[in-house]
Amino acid sequence: MTKPSLASLTNLYLKIGNTTFGGGNPTMALLQRELTRRGWITREDFALAYALARVTPGTNILAFCAATGERVLGLGGAFAAVLAVSLPSAILAVLLTRGFETWRSHPLAMAAIGGTVAAVAGMMWASVWLLVRPYIGWRALLFTGGAFLAAWKFDVTPVPVILAAALAGYVWADRK
Amino acid sequence: MNLFLLYALLLKATLTSFSGLASLPMVRNDLVVERKVLTDRELNTAVVAGRTGPGPNGLYLVSVGYYAAGYAGATVGLLALMTPAFLILPMMRWMGRRAESPRVKSAIRAVVLASAGLLLSASVPLARDAITGWLTLGIVMASFAVLTLTKLDTVWVVLGGAVVGLIAKVAP
Repeated sequence: MTKPSLASLTNLYLKIGNTTFGGGNPTMALLQRELTRRGWITREDFALAYALARVTPGTNILAFCAATGERVLGLGGAFAAVLAVSLPSAILAVLLTRGFETWRSHPLAMAAIGGTVAAVAGMMWASVWLLVRPYIGWRALLFTGGAFLAAWKFDVTPVPVILAAALAGYVWADRK
Repeated sequence: MNLFLLYALLLKATLTSFSGLASLPMVRNDLVVERKVLTDRELNTAVVAGRTGPGPNGLYLVSVGYYAAGYAGATVGLLALMTPAFLILPMMRWMGRRAESPRVKSAIRAVVLASAGLLLSASVPLARDAITGWLTLGIVMASFAVLTLTKLDTVWVVLGGAVVGLIAKVAP
């Protein structure tokens, strides 16, 4: 395995992390190609990072970057990779938030923002569907429906719902 | 709002979610319902701002932090977003095998399904705020259909919503 400089590692994550729209999977796919092509990590390390990123709490792609960055250049590589992927996009997100607040007083901007807000509501339902789709069945109905009812009808806060689901899933293991 | 408290609340949300917007129900519960530092509309705008630009899902937490406590809050939001990522480092070392256990996998699947239900519940007030008439209802449905049926990037759907909203306003 070749070892790049911290600057060239940061540069790769900067380039891929901040130009790829659409979240984790496309970004991880591109990074996989670039990291193995350059000989910075092995396919085995990539596979381990990819699998563990899915079971790490929080944003999968950031965990993936921490793991691969660490494999290439140790702890410094991990920090550089995570910062490179998130910091520029975070600054852009704040600028966009400020923009939305300023434009709020303008009727035309309001109309456009109203359209985007509606699109996001549809996007949330799409996220729900994409989360459930691979597991369609009685378990999905029970866990998703149960969590929905607990939160919506009975005002249960999210942490107990998630803990109860984890416990139930652990005890009542499905045979997939 | 106290920055340490904000960090703790946002970290709680990121630590207990496994993907994308799954942290949203907890953020809404803590910051909108319980502490009222954000309105539903601001939370909605934060989600839009996080999704309009490139970068990881979950960036909306930076906007949420900005609404709660300005630039310092945004920094706190980014830190809360980044912190759980480093949990993978000890996992890479020691837990590589255990993640293959069927029980652990089953527990994770159950959490994913439950977070879908929580997300659905959190989307109801946001959708109520977003749907102001037939036009916005149409945009919601179109956005859902496009994102579930095609591989089109989210940013185009958000931009499409803006364009449709604009045209409807300008056209008599």
